[in-house]
Amino acid sequence: MFSVAGNTSLIKTTSHKVVVPFYVYAAISFLVATIMLLVAAPSFTQHYFHPRTLAITHIMALGWGTMIILGASHQLVPVLIEGKLHSNKLAGLCFILAATGIPLLSYGFYVFDMGWPAKWGGRLIILAIIVYLINLGMSMAKSKKENVHAVFLFTGGLWLLVTTIVGLVLVYNFTYPLMPKESLHYLALHAHTGVVGWFLLLVIGVGSRLIPMFLISKYSNPGLLWLIYGLINGGLASFVFIFLFADSKSAVLMPFIAVAVAIFLFAYYCYKSFSQRIRKKVDEQMRISLLSVLMMLLPVVVLVVIISIMLLAATPDIRVILIYGFVIFFGWITAIILGMTFKTLPFIVWNKVYHTLSATGKTPNPKDMFSRTVFISMGVIYLGGFALFPIGILLNNILILQSASVLLLLVAVLYNWNVIKILVHKPVIR
Amino acid sequence: MNVITNNNIKCTIALAALQNVVDPEIGLNVVDLGLIYQIDFDEADSRIFCTMTLTTQFCPMGEFITDAVAKTLDSTFPENEINVKLTFTPPWSNQMISEEGQNFLNR
Repeated sequence: MFSVAGNTSLIKTTSHKVVVPFYVYAAISFLVATIMLLVAAPSFTQHYFHPRTLAITHIMALGWGTMIILGASHQLVPVLIEGKLHSNKLAGLCFILAATGIPLLSYGFYVFDMGWPAKWGGRLIILAIIVYLINLGMSMAKSKKENVHAVFLFTGGLWLLVTTIVGLVLVYNFTYPLMPKESLHYLALHAHTGVVGWFLLLVIGVGSRLIPMFLISKYSNPGLLWLIYGLINGGLASFVFIFLFADSKSAVLMPFIAVAVAIFLFAYYCYKSFSQRIRKKVDEQMRISLLSVLMMLLPVVVLVVIISIMLLAATPDIRVILIYGFVIFFGWITAIILGMTFKTLPFIVWNKVYHTLSATGKTPNPKDMFSRTVFISMGVIYLGGFALFPIGILLNNILILQSASVLLLLVAVLYNWNVIKILVHKPVIR
Repeated sequence: MNVITNNNIKCTIALAALQNVVDPEIGLNVVDLGLIYQIDFDEADSRIFCTMTLTTQFCPMGEFITDAVAKTLDSTFPENEINVKLTFTPPWSNQMISEEGQNFLNR
Protein backbone atom coordinates (compact mmCIF):
# COMPACT_ATOMS: atom_id res chain seq x y z
CA MET A 1 0.00 0.00 0.00
CA PHE A 2 1.32 3.46 -0.78
CA SER A 3 0.32 7.08 -0.70
CA VAL A 4 1.73 10.36 -1.96
CA ALA A 5 1.27 13.39 0.28
CA GLY A 6 2.85 16.81 0.87
CA ASN A 7 2.69 19.56 -1.73
CA THR A 8 0.87 17.37 -4.25
CA SER A 9 -1.17 20.33 -5.52
CA LEU A 10 2.09 21.58 -6.99
CA ILE A 11 2.29 18.69 -9.43
CA LYS A 12 -1.12 19.05 -11.07
CA THR A 13 -0.54 20.43 -14.54
CA THR A 14 -3.10 21.82 -16.99
CA SER A 15 -5.22 19.14 -18.65
CA HIS A 16 -4.14 18.06 -22.14
CA LYS A 17 -7.76 18.54 -23.26
CA VAL A 18 -7.29 22.29 -22.81
CA VAL A 19 -3.95 22.55 -24.57
CA VAL A 20 -3.97 20.08 -27.48
CA PRO A 21 -6.71 21.86 -29.53
CA PHE A 22 -4.51 24.99 -29.68
CA TYR A 23 -1.57 22.95 -31.02
CA VAL A 24 -3.73 21.17 -33.61
CA TYR A 25 -5.28 24.45 -34.75
CA ALA A 26 -1.84 26.05 -35.06
CA ALA A 27 -0.44 23.12 -37.06
CA ILE A 28 -3.36 23.29 -39.53
CA SER A 29 -2.99 27.09 -39.76
CA PHE A 30 0.69 26.74 -40.62
CA LEU A 31 -0.21 24.29 -43.39
CA VAL A 32 -2.96 26.58 -44.72
CA ALA A 33 -0.64 29.61 -44.60
CA THR A 34 2.11 27.84 -46.55
CA ILE A 35 -0.39 26.57 -49.16
CA MET A 36 -1.64 30.14 -49.55
CA LEU A 37 1.96 31.36 -49.73
CA LEU A 38 2.55 29.04 -52.69
CA VAL A 39 -0.69 30.00 -54.43
CA ALA A 40 -0.22 33.71 -53.77
CA ALA A 41 3.55 33.87 -54.30
CA PRO A 42 3.22 36.46 -57.13
CA SER A 43 1.54 38.90 -54.72
CA PHE A 44 4.90 39.19 -52.92
CA THR A 45 6.18 41.14 -55.91
CA GLN A 46 3.54 43.80 -55.19
CA HIS A 47 2.70 46.16 -52.31
CA TYR A 48 2.57 44.64 -48.83
CA PHE A 49 -0.94 46.02 -48.37
CA HIS A 50 -2.30 43.30 -50.64
CA PRO A 51 -5.34 41.16 -49.69
CA ARG A 52 -3.45 37.84 -50.07
CA THR A 53 -0.44 39.12 -48.12
CA LEU A 54 -2.67 40.47 -45.35
CA ALA A 55 -4.57 37.17 -45.15
CA ILE A 56 -1.34 35.11 -44.95
CA THR A 57 0.14 37.49 -42.38
CA HIS A 58 -2.93 37.19 -40.13
CA ILE A 59 -3.07 33.40 -40.45
CA MET A 60 0.63 33.26 -39.51
CA ALA A 61 0.33 35.81 -36.69
CA LEU A 62 -2.94 34.62 -35.19
CA GLY A 63 -3.64 31.07 -36.38
CA TRP A 64 -0.04 29.88 -36.12
CA GLY A 65 1.92 32.06 -33.73
CA THR A 66 -0.77 33.27 -31.34
CA MET A 67 -2.73 30.02 -31.11
CA ILE A 68 0.33 27.95 -30.27
CA ILE A 69 1.54 30.55 -27.78
CA LEU A 70 -1.90 30.63 -26.15
CA GLY A 71 -1.91 26.83 -25.97
CA ALA A 72 1.63 26.60 -24.64
CA SER A 73 1.04 29.40 -22.15
CA HIS A 74 -2.05 27.64 -20.74
CA GLN A 75 0.16 24.58 -20.28
CA LEU A 76 3.13 26.54 -18.94
CA VAL A 77 1.26 28.95 -16.66
CA PRO A 78 1.69 26.59 -13.68
CA VAL A 79 5.44 26.31 -14.34
CA LEU A 80 5.82 30.04 -14.96
CA ILE A 81 3.74 31.42 -12.08
CA GLU A 82 4.20 28.45 -9.76
CA GLY A 83 0.45 28.21 -9.32
CA LYS A 84 -2.48 26.46 -10.95
CA LEU A 85 -4.35 27.68 -14.02
CA HIS A 86 -7.51 29.39 -12.74
CA SER A 87 -10.03 27.80 -15.12
CA ASN A 88 -9.96 25.13 -17.81
CA LYS A 89 -13.40 26.27 -18.98
CA LEU A 90 -12.15 29.80 -19.66
CA ALA A 91 -9.22 28.30 -21.59
CA GLY A 92 -11.72 26.31 -23.69
CA LEU A 93 -13.81 29.43 -24.27
CA CYS A 94 -10.69 31.35 -25.31
CA PHE A 95 -9.98 28.62 -27.88
CA ILE A 96 -13.52 28.57 -29.31
CA LEU A 97 -13.65 32.37 -29.65
CA ALA A 98 -10.21 32.63 -31.28
CA ALA A 99 -10.71 29.56 -33.46
CA THR A 100 -13.92 31.06 -34.86
CA GLY A 101 -12.65 34.60 -35.18
CA ILE A 102 -9.36 33.91 -37.00
CA PRO A 103 -10.79 32.30 -40.18
CA LEU A 104 -13.52 34.97 -40.39
CA LEU A 105 -10.95 37.76 -40.19
CA SER A 106 -8.56 36.04 -42.62
CA TYR A 107 -11.38 35.40 -45.08
CA GLY A 108 -12.32 39.08 -44.84
CA PHE A 109 -8.76 40.04 -45.79
CA TYR A 110 -8.48 37.41 -48.53
CA VAL A 111 -11.53 38.70 -50.40
CA PHE A 112 -10.89 42.19 -49.04
CA ASP A 113 -14.42 42.54 -47.73
CA MET A 114 -14.30 44.56 -44.53
CA GLY A 115 -17.95 43.76 -43.83
CA TRP A 116 -19.33 41.34 -41.25
CA PRO A 117 -16.74 38.47 -41.52
CA ALA A 118 -13.77 40.73 -40.79
CA LYS A 119 -15.65 42.70 -38.13
CA TRP A 120 -17.03 39.65 -36.33
CA GLY A 121 -13.67 37.94 -36.69
CA GLY A 122 -11.97 40.88 -35.00
CA ARG A 123 -14.60 41.08 -32.24
CA LEU A 124 -14.33 37.36 -31.44
CA ILE A 125 -10.53 37.54 -31.30
CA ILE A 126 -10.70 40.49 -28.89
CA LEU A 127 -13.13 38.54 -26.69
CA ALA A 128 -10.77 35.54 -26.76
CA ILE A 129 -7.90 37.69 -25.52
CA ILE A 130 -10.03 39.26 -22.78
CA VAL A 131 -10.98 35.75 -21.60
CA TYR A 132 -7.29 34.73 -21.71
CA LEU A 133 -6.26 37.77 -19.67
CA ILE A 134 -8.98 37.15 -17.06
CA ASN A 135 -7.83 33.53 -16.71
CA LEU A 136 -4.16 34.48 -16.52
CA GLY A 137 -4.80 37.38 -14.13
CA MET A 138 -6.88 35.21 -11.78
CA SER A 139 -4.18 32.50 -11.86
CA MET A 140 -1.51 35.07 -11.01
CA ALA A 141 -3.62 36.59 -8.21
CA LYS A 142 -4.06 33.16 -6.62
CA SER A 143 -0.37 32.34 -6.93
CA LYS A 144 0.64 35.47 -4.93
CA LYS A 145 4.24 35.06 -6.03
CA GLU A 146 6.04 37.82 -7.87
CA ASN A 147 7.48 36.25 -10.95
CA VAL A 148 9.14 38.06 -13.83
CA HIS A 149 8.09 35.41 -16.38
CA ALA A 150 4.42 35.74 -15.47
CA VAL A 151 4.64 39.54 -15.71
CA PHE A 152 6.06 39.18 -19.25
CA LEU A 153 3.14 36.88 -20.08
CA PHE A 154 0.43 39.17 -18.73
CA THR A 155 1.91 42.35 -20.22
CA GLY A 156 2.26 40.53 -23.55
CA GLY A 157 -1.45 39.69 -23.34
CA LEU A 158 -2.29 43.36 -22.69
CA TRP A 159 -0.28 44.44 -25.75
CA LEU A 160 -2.08 41.78 -27.79
CA LEU A 161 -5.37 43.26 -26.64
CA VAL A 162 -4.17 46.73 -27.71
CA THR A 163 -3.04 45.27 -31.06
CA THR A 164 -6.36 43.59 -31.79
CA ILE A 165 -8.39 46.62 -30.71
CA VAL A 166 -6.29 48.82 -33.02
CA GLY A 167 -6.72 46.15 -35.72
CA LEU A 168 -10.51 46.18 -35.38
CA VAL A 169 -10.56 49.98 -35.44
CA LEU A 170 -8.56 49.82 -38.69
CA VAL A 171 -11.09 47.34 -40.13
CA TYR A 172 -13.93 49.74 -39.22
CA ASN A 173 -11.91 52.62 -40.62
CA PHE A 174 -12.36 51.15 -44.10
CA THR A 175 -16.11 51.63 -43.93
CA TYR A 176 -16.54 54.46 -41.37
CA PRO A 177 -13.82 57.11 -41.08
CA LEU A 178 -12.97 56.63 -37.40
CA MET A 179 -9.34 57.70 -37.65
CA PRO A 180 -7.91 60.97 -39.00
CA LYS A 181 -5.84 59.09 -41.61
CA GLU A 182 -6.40 56.00 -43.76
CA SER A 183 -5.82 52.53 -42.27
CA LEU A 184 -2.57 51.95 -44.16
CA HIS A 185 -0.98 54.78 -42.15
CA TYR A 186 -1.57 52.95 -38.85
CA LEU A 187 -0.25 49.60 -40.06
CA ALA A 188 3.19 50.17 -38.50
CA LEU A 189 1.54 50.88 -35.13
CA HIS A 190 -0.68 47.79 -35.32
CA ALA A 191 2.17 45.55 -36.48
CA HIS A 192 4.72 46.68 -33.90
CA THR A 193 2.43 46.49 -30.88
CA GLY A 194 1.72 42.92 -31.99
CA VAL A 195 5.24 41.84 -32.89
CA VAL A 196 7.11 43.59 -30.08
CA GLY A 197 4.41 43.80 -27.41
CA TRP A 198 2.96 40.33 -27.86
CA PHE A 199 5.40 38.02 -29.62
CA LEU A 200 8.68 39.44 -28.34
CA LEU A 201 7.51 39.74 -24.72
CA LEU A 202 5.98 36.27 -24.82
CA VAL A 203 8.98 34.59 -26.42
CA ILE A 204 11.38 36.26 -23.98
CA GLY A 205 9.13 35.63 -20.96
CA VAL A 206 8.61 31.96 -21.74
CA GLY A 207 12.03 31.36 -23.32
CA SER A 208 13.90 32.80 -20.36
CA ARG A 209 12.22 30.16 -18.17
CA LEU A 210 12.29 27.18 -20.53
CA ILE A 211 15.72 27.55 -22.14
CA PRO A 212 17.69 27.34 -18.82
CA MET A 213 15.25 24.67 -17.59
CA PHE A 214 15.71 22.38 -20.58
CA LEU A 215 19.48 22.97 -20.66
CA ILE A 216 19.65 22.41 -16.86
CA SER A 217 21.62 25.61 -16.58
CA LYS A 218 23.00 27.19 -13.42
CA TYR A 219 22.41 30.65 -14.88
CA SER A 220 19.70 32.83 -13.41
CA ASN A 221 19.44 36.60 -13.72
CA PRO A 222 16.00 38.08 -12.90
CA GLY A 223 17.55 41.57 -12.76
CA LEU A 224 18.57 41.34 -16.40
CA LEU A 225 15.08 40.11 -17.34
CA TRP A 226 13.48 43.08 -15.56
CA LEU A 227 15.83 45.39 -17.49
CA ILE A 228 14.80 43.72 -20.77
CA TYR A 229 11.15 44.07 -19.71
CA GLY A 230 11.62 47.79 -19.05
CA LEU A 231 13.46 48.38 -22.32
CA ILE A 232 10.81 46.64 -24.44
CA ASN A 233 7.81 48.23 -22.77
CA GLY A 234 9.45 51.65 -22.49
CA GLY A 235 10.55 51.44 -26.12
CA LEU A 236 7.16 50.33 -27.37
CA ALA A 237 5.19 52.85 -25.31
CA SER A 238 7.41 55.67 -26.54
CA PHE A 239 7.02 54.40 -30.12
CA VAL A 240 3.23 54.56 -29.78
CA PHE A 241 3.49 58.09 -28.36
CA ILE A 242 5.87 59.27 -31.09
CA PHE A 243 3.74 57.65 -33.80
CA LEU A 244 0.52 59.29 -32.62
CA PHE A 245 1.69 62.65 -31.31
CA ALA A 246 5.15 63.53 -32.65
CA ASP A 247 5.61 63.31 -36.38
CA SER A 248 9.38 62.94 -36.17
CA LYS A 249 11.25 60.24 -38.07
CA SER A 250 14.47 60.67 -36.09
CA ALA A 251 12.59 60.25 -32.76
CA VAL A 252 11.79 56.66 -33.81
CA LEU A 253 15.46 55.88 -33.23
CA MET A 254 15.04 55.97 -29.45
CA PRO A 255 12.44 53.18 -29.15
CA PHE A 256 14.25 51.21 -31.84
CA ILE A 257 17.50 51.32 -29.87
CA ALA A 258 15.71 50.35 -26.63
CA VAL A 259 14.10 47.27 -28.21
CA ALA A 260 17.28 46.33 -30.11
CA VAL A 261 19.29 46.49 -26.86
CA ALA A 262 16.65 44.31 -25.19
CA ILE A 263 16.98 41.70 -27.94
CA PHE A 264 20.79 41.72 -27.65
CA LEU A 265 20.48 41.34 -23.85
CA PHE A 266 18.13 38.38 -24.28
CA ALA A 267 20.60 36.80 -26.71
CA TYR A 268 23.27 37.35 -24.02
CA TYR A 269 20.97 35.75 -21.41
CA CYS A 270 20.54 32.69 -23.65
CA TYR A 271 24.28 32.54 -24.30
CA LYS A 272 25.01 32.58 -20.55
CA SER A 273 22.35 29.90 -19.96
CA PHE A 274 23.93 27.82 -22.71
CA SER A 275 27.52 28.26 -21.49
CA GLN A 276 26.59 27.41 -17.88
CA ARG A 277 24.50 24.37 -18.75
CA ILE A 278 25.04 21.14 -16.87
CA ARG A 279 23.52 19.01 -19.61
CA LYS A 280 26.21 19.14 -22.28
CA LYS A 281 24.31 17.39 -25.06
CA VAL A 282 21.88 19.79 -26.69
CA ASP A 283 19.08 18.13 -28.68
CA GLU A 284 17.86 19.31 -32.09
CA GLN A 285 14.71 20.92 -30.69
CA MET A 286 16.80 23.12 -28.41
CA ARG A 287 19.26 23.90 -31.20
CA ILE A 288 16.49 25.20 -33.46
CA SER A 289 15.05 27.18 -30.50
CA LEU A 290 18.45 28.73 -29.79
CA LEU A 291 18.88 29.46 -33.49
CA SER A 292 15.57 31.35 -33.38
CA VAL A 293 17.08 33.65 -30.73
CA LEU A 294 19.84 34.55 -33.18
CA MET A 295 17.20 34.98 -35.89
CA MET A 296 15.61 37.70 -33.73
CA LEU A 297 18.55 39.87 -34.73
CA LEU A 298 17.62 39.70 -38.45
CA PRO A 299 14.57 41.99 -38.23
CA VAL A 300 16.73 44.41 -36.25
CA VAL A 301 19.21 44.51 -39.13
CA VAL A 302 16.42 45.01 -41.70
CA LEU A 303 14.90 47.73 -39.54
CA VAL A 304 18.26 49.52 -39.44
CA VAL A 305 18.08 49.63 -43.25
CA ILE A 306 14.47 50.89 -43.21
CA ILE A 307 15.14 53.60 -40.60
CA SER A 308 18.33 54.68 -42.41
CA ILE A 309 16.35 55.14 -45.63
CA MET A 310 13.63 57.03 -43.75
CA LEU A 311 16.19 59.34 -42.13
CA LEU A 312 17.52 60.16 -45.57
CA ALA A 313 14.01 61.51 -46.23
CA ALA A 314 13.25 58.75 -48.67
CA THR A 315 10.46 56.15 -48.70
CA PRO A 316 11.76 52.64 -47.98
CA ASP A 317 11.48 50.17 -50.83
CA ILE A 318 8.36 48.02 -50.49
CA ARG A 319 10.51 44.91 -50.92
CA VAL A 320 12.53 45.76 -47.79
CA ILE A 321 9.30 46.07 -45.77
CA LEU A 322 8.05 42.75 -47.17
CA ILE A 323 11.34 41.11 -46.15
CA TYR A 324 11.03 42.70 -42.71
CA GLY A 325 7.61 41.10 -42.22
CA PHE A 326 8.77 37.78 -43.63
CA VAL A 327 11.82 37.45 -41.37
CA ILE A 328 9.57 38.11 -38.39
CA PHE A 329 6.68 35.72 -39.08
CA PHE A 330 8.47 33.02 -41.06
CA GLY A 331 11.75 33.70 -39.23
CA TRP A 332 12.19 33.73 -35.47
CA ILE A 333 8.53 33.25 -34.57
CA THR A 334 8.26 30.16 -36.77
CA ALA A 335 11.70 28.83 -35.78
CA ILE A 336 10.99 28.97 -32.06
CA ILE A 337 7.63 27.28 -32.58
CA LEU A 338 9.19 24.54 -34.73
CA GLY A 339 11.68 23.85 -31.94
CA MET A 340 9.53 24.31 -28.85
CA THR A 341 6.53 22.34 -30.18
CA PHE A 342 8.64 19.21 -30.00
CA LYS A 343 9.85 20.08 -26.51
CA THR A 344 6.36 20.70 -25.10
CA LEU A 345 3.76 18.68 -27.06
CA PRO A 346 5.45 15.28 -26.47
CA PHE A 347 5.35 16.00 -22.70
CA ILE A 348 1.66 16.87 -22.81
CA VAL A 349 0.71 13.72 -24.72
CA TRP A 350 3.23 11.56 -22.82
CA ASN A 351 1.58 12.59 -19.55
CA LYS A 352 -1.84 11.71 -20.94
CA VAL A 353 -0.70 8.28 -22.13
CA TYR A 354 1.69 7.22 -19.36
CA HIS A 355 0.75 9.02 -16.14
CA THR A 356 -1.08 5.95 -14.81
CA LEU A 357 1.59 3.54 -16.04
CA SER A 358 4.47 4.56 -13.77
CA ALA A 359 6.77 1.75 -12.56
CA THR A 360 5.08 -0.79 -14.85
CA GLY A 361 8.11 -1.15 -17.12
CA LYS A 362 10.36 0.94 -19.33
CA THR A 363 8.36 3.68 -21.01
CA PRO A 364 9.59 5.53 -24.10
CA ASN A 365 10.94 9.04 -23.54
CA PRO A 366 8.88 11.98 -24.82
CA LYS A 367 11.51 12.59 -27.51
CA ASP A 368 10.88 9.08 -28.87
CA MET A 369 7.27 9.97 -29.70
CA PHE A 370 8.13 11.73 -32.96
CA SER A 371 10.49 10.96 -35.83
CA ARG A 372 13.90 12.52 -35.33
CA THR A 373 14.71 12.08 -39.04
CA VAL A 374 11.55 13.93 -40.05
CA PHE A 375 12.37 16.66 -37.50
CA ILE A 376 15.93 17.14 -38.78
CA SER A 377 14.71 17.13 -42.42
CA MET A 378 12.11 19.72 -41.46
CA GLY A 379 14.81 21.92 -39.90
CA VAL A 380 17.14 21.72 -42.91
CA ILE A 381 14.35 22.38 -45.46
CA TYR A 382 13.09 25.25 -43.31
CA LEU A 383 16.47 26.97 -43.42
CA GLY A 384 16.54 26.59 -47.22
CA GLY A 385 13.01 27.99 -47.67
CA PHE A 386 13.61 30.78 -45.19
CA ALA A 387 16.82 31.88 -46.92
CA LEU A 388 15.37 31.64 -50.44
CA PHE A 389 12.10 33.57 -50.02
CA PRO A 390 13.66 36.98 -49.22
CA ILE A 391 15.94 36.54 -52.27
CA GLY A 392 12.77 36.04 -54.35
CA ILE A 393 11.28 39.23 -52.89
CA LEU A 394 14.48 41.16 -53.50
CA LEU A 395 14.82 39.99 -57.11
CA ASN A 396 11.05 40.20 -57.78
CA ASN A 397 11.36 36.68 -59.08
CA ILE A 398 8.16 34.62 -58.94
CA LEU A 399 9.95 31.34 -59.67
CA ILE A 400 12.25 31.77 -56.67
CA LEU A 401 9.28 32.79 -54.52
CA GLN A 402 7.37 29.69 -55.60
CA SER A 403 10.40 27.42 -55.03
CA ALA A 404 10.84 28.82 -51.52
CA SER A 405 7.10 28.42 -50.91
CA VAL A 406 7.29 24.76 -51.92
CA LEU A 407 10.08 24.26 -49.37
CA LEU A 408 8.07 26.02 -46.64
CA LEU A 409 4.99 23.98 -47.54
CA LEU A 410 7.10 20.86 -47.17
CA VAL A 411 8.19 22.11 -43.74
CA ALA A 412 4.53 22.47 -42.75
CA VAL A 413 3.75 18.95 -44.03
CA LEU A 414 6.66 17.44 -42.07
CA TYR A 415 5.70 19.46 -38.99
CA ASN A 416 2.10 18.20 -39.21
CA TRP A 417 3.35 14.66 -39.79
CA ASN A 418 5.29 14.68 -36.54
CA VAL A 419 2.50 16.44 -34.62
CA ILE A 420 0.02 13.76 -35.77
CA LYS A 421 2.55 11.05 -34.85
CA ILE A 422 2.71 12.43 -31.30
CA LEU A 423 -1.06 12.85 -30.99
CA VAL A 424 -1.89 9.26 -32.04
CA HIS A 425 0.83 7.72 -29.86
CA LYS A 426 -0.29 4.50 -28.14
CA PRO A 427 1.32 3.23 -24.93
CA VAL A 428 4.46 1.13 -25.39
CA ILE A 429 5.79 -0.60 -22.27
CA ARG A 430 8.90 -2.74 -22.53
CA MET B 1 23.58 14.93 -2.02
CA ASN B 2 23.37 12.38 0.79
CA VAL B 3 19.99 10.91 1.62
CA ILE B 4 19.01 11.20 5.29
CA THR B 5 17.92 7.90 6.82
CA ASN B 6 17.56 6.01 10.07
CA ASN B 7 18.48 2.65 8.49
CA ASN B 8 21.50 2.63 6.19
CA ILE B 9 21.12 -0.94 4.97
CA LYS B 10 17.45 -0.68 4.00
CA CYS B 11 18.06 2.76 2.54
CA THR B 12 20.77 1.34 0.27
CA ILE B 13 18.27 -1.29 -0.97
CA ALA B 14 15.64 1.40 -1.51
CA LEU B 15 18.02 3.69 -3.40
CA ALA B 16 19.19 0.79 -5.58
CA ALA B 17 15.55 0.14 -6.53
CA LEU B 18 14.87 3.84 -7.09
CA GLN B 19 17.72 4.00 -9.58
CA ASN B 20 15.21 2.46 -11.98
CA VAL B 21 12.94 5.48 -11.71
CA VAL B 22 14.13 7.79 -14.45
CA ASP B 23 13.12 11.36 -15.23
CA PRO B 24 11.82 10.88 -18.80
CA GLU B 25 13.04 14.28 -20.00
CA ILE B 26 16.52 14.24 -18.52
CA GLY B 27 17.09 10.50 -18.78
CA LEU B 28 18.68 10.40 -15.32
CA ASN B 29 17.35 8.44 -12.34
CA VAL B 30 15.77 10.23 -9.37
CA VAL B 31 18.57 9.19 -6.97
CA ASP B 32 21.45 10.64 -9.01
CA LEU B 33 19.29 13.61 -9.87
CA GLY B 34 19.13 14.35 -6.10
CA LEU B 35 15.34 14.23 -5.84
CA ILE B 36 15.28 11.89 -2.83
CA TYR B 37 15.87 13.82 0.41
CA GLN B 38 15.05 11.34 3.14
CA ILE B 39 13.93 7.72 3.64
CA ASP B 40 12.97 6.64 7.15
CA PHE B 41 11.89 3.17 8.25
CA ASP B 42 9.39 2.66 11.04
CA GLU B 43 10.11 -0.96 11.96
CA ALA B 44 7.40 -1.18 14.62
CA ASP B 45 4.53 -0.21 12.33
CA SER B 46 6.09 -1.48 9.07
CA ARG B 47 5.96 1.93 7.48
CA ILE B 48 8.40 3.72 5.19
CA PHE B 49 8.51 7.50 4.87
CA CYS B 50 10.15 8.91 1.77
CA THR B 51 10.59 12.66 1.37
CA MET B 52 11.38 13.81 -2.14
CA THR B 53 11.28 16.82 -4.41
CA LEU B 54 11.04 17.61 -8.13
CA THR B 55 13.33 19.69 -10.34
CA THR B 56 10.61 22.34 -10.53
CA GLN B 57 7.17 22.93 -9.08
CA PHE B 58 4.49 21.96 -11.58
CA CYS B 59 7.04 19.76 -13.33
CA PRO B 60 5.01 18.22 -16.19
CA MET B 61 6.33 14.79 -15.19
CA GLY B 62 5.79 15.36 -11.45
CA GLU B 63 2.81 13.07 -10.93
CA PHE B 64 4.42 10.27 -12.92
CA ILE B 65 7.73 10.49 -11.01
CA THR B 66 6.20 10.61 -7.51
CA ASP B 67 3.87 7.70 -8.35
CA ALA B 68 6.80 5.73 -9.77
CA VAL B 69 8.82 6.30 -6.57
CA ALA B 70 5.88 5.16 -4.41
CA LYS B 71 5.19 2.08 -6.56
CA THR B 72 8.87 1.10 -6.70
CA LEU B 73 9.23 1.29 -2.91
CA ASP B 74 5.97 -0.63 -2.57
CA SER B 75 7.24 -3.46 -4.77
CA THR B 76 10.67 -3.47 -3.05
CA PHE B 77 9.18 -3.55 0.47
CA PRO B 78 5.76 -5.19 -0.09
CA GLU B 79 5.19 -5.83 3.62
CA ASN B 80 5.47 -2.09 4.41
CA GLU B 81 3.10 0.82 4.03
CA ILE B 82 4.74 3.47 1.85
CA ASN B 83 4.28 7.18 2.46
CA VAL B 84 5.85 9.48 -0.09
CA LYS B 85 5.93 13.13 0.89
CA LEU B 86 6.58 15.78 -1.73
CA THR B 87 8.39 18.90 -0.57
CA PHE B 88 9.90 21.96 -2.19
CA THR B 89 11.85 22.97 0.91
CA PRO B 90 14.69 23.18 0.19
CA PRO B 91 14.06 23.67 -3.50
CA TRP B 92 15.97 21.41 -5.84
CA SER B 93 19.11 22.85 -7.37
CA ASN B 94 21.55 21.37 -9.84
CA GLN B 95 24.16 21.16 -7.03
CA MET B 96 22.10 18.22 -5.74
CA ILE B 97 23.01 16.08 -8.75
CA SER B 98 25.43 13.31 -7.78
CA GLU B 99 28.86 12.95 -9.34
CA GLU B 100 27.58 10.00 -11.40
CA GLY B 101 24.69 12.19 -12.51
CA GLN B 102 27.05 15.04 -13.47
CA ASN B 103 29.14 12.57 -15.50
CA PHE B 104 25.99 11.29 -17.23
CA LEU B 105 24.94 14.82 -18.17
CA ASN B 106 28.45 15.68 -19.34
CA ARG B 107 28.46 12.87 -21.89
